[in-house]
Amino acid sequence: MTRAADSLVVCEWCDQAYRWVPLEAGAVARCTRCEAVLGRGHRIGTETVLALTVTSLVVFLVAVFSHVISIRLSGTTVESTIPGAVLAAWDEGDQMVAVATAVTALIAPALFILLRLYVLVPLAAGRIPIGFGPVVRALHQVSRWNMLEVLTVGGLLSLVRLAALAEAVPGPAMFALGVLTVLFAAIEAAGLRHLWWYVP
Amino acid sequence: MVVRPVSAPTTAAGPPQALAPVDGPLLGCESCGMVSRGVPEDQLPEGAVLQCSRCHHALHHEKPFSLQRTWSCVIAAAILYIPANALPVMSTTSGFESSTHTLLGGIHDLWVDGAWGLAVIVFVASIAVPVLKIAALALLAWSVRKAPDWRRLERARLFRLIEVVGHWSMLDVYVVVLLAACVRFGSLASAHPEPGLLAFAAVVVLTLLAAHSFDPRMIWRDRQDHG
Repeated sequence: MTRAADSLVVCEWCDQAYRWVPLEAGAVARCTRCEAVLGRGHRIGTETVLALTVTSLVVFLVAVFSHVISIRLSGTTVESTIPGAVLAAWDEGDQMVAVATAVTALIAPALFILLRLYVLVPLAAGRIPIGFGPVVRALHQVSRWNMLEVLTVGGLLSLVRLAALAEAVPGPAMFALGVLTVLFAAIEAAGLRHLWWYVP
Repeated sequence: MVVRPVSAPTTAAGPPQALAPVDGPLLGCESCGMVSRGVPEDQLPEGAVLQCSRCHHALHHEKPFSLQRTWSCVIAAAILYIPANALPVMSTTSGFESSTHTLLGGIHDLWVDGAWGLAVIVFVASIAVPVLKIAALALLAWSVRKAPDWRRLERARLFRLIEVVGHWSMLDVYVVVLLAACVRFGSLASAHPEPGLLAFAAVVVLTLLAAHSFDPRMIWRDRQDHG
């Protein structure tokens, strides 16, 4: 599925209008006025994005249900998971921080994956899912609040700080976070705009 | 009332050249990219809303109340930045010793311990990015009205930079949350989040909201467009 060759495109950063020309894979069209990216020639198609999203779901489950860091101090071992860290912050009385962490590190990434699956699975089967428009718009918002890559670096930083105090070992969730950072970057690069070309 | 403007006229494919607006400005849908022909404001019925004819997303020439919303978030972030740095973000106890840590104190500790690389990363994420974001957003919002022709391209680049680096300030919030969850050995060693962290998290969220409120298209408007 390709975009109609004779359509127009407006730069969302500065409102300059252009005639759209089909791009070769890997090519990037930039606005001549503000230099923002107008569009990309995609190397990966919708089926590939779907495959990456399914992979992300599996890796995300590992990231949520296994521990990020385990540390041992004089015979006692503490293993902490991401949901566990959120609950601990809540119990400490820092509810706002717990909510901000839960939204940016758990809910947004979960929706990033689940809403994409909701759209991509029917599209791969040649159907348009119910509520396509609102779901794709929600995905734009979800992308803005997803900060999993920052959490990955935060996890590594915590590990280094803990190593000074006790025996600290990264858990499966830490590796899962690293993999998810790469997967999300690849999915994000494919963008959402082209999904609309499926809509008649 | 909802008005769905007709899609813009399509023309034969040509080189990527800028088009002069025909019959009023063209509106790009921020959700699906569909281009519609804008309706001049004086021709719109009272209280009418423009919607994209393909995805039904609201179409705006400019985000509503963009400058007001940007300013209120920037000012609130600047005020909260003071307690975020003055108050401790974390307290630790080990043995009988208990100590509190501020953002700058934590960076200082890393530096003294010889972890210079980490100290630089945390300094950039926790100090440099929030300060530059607040200053840059204030400059961008100010210049829309006061200096509309001044260095438009550089301002556009500055805004895109803010959008890219913005959420990295959450780094220290995550680190404290993870440390507090990991270091739970009762009286032997423990770590707890402190009120400064709440203020800092609020600064991060407010600067993100400020950047989302700012409409970069305002950078390219001429003085008279603002009325």
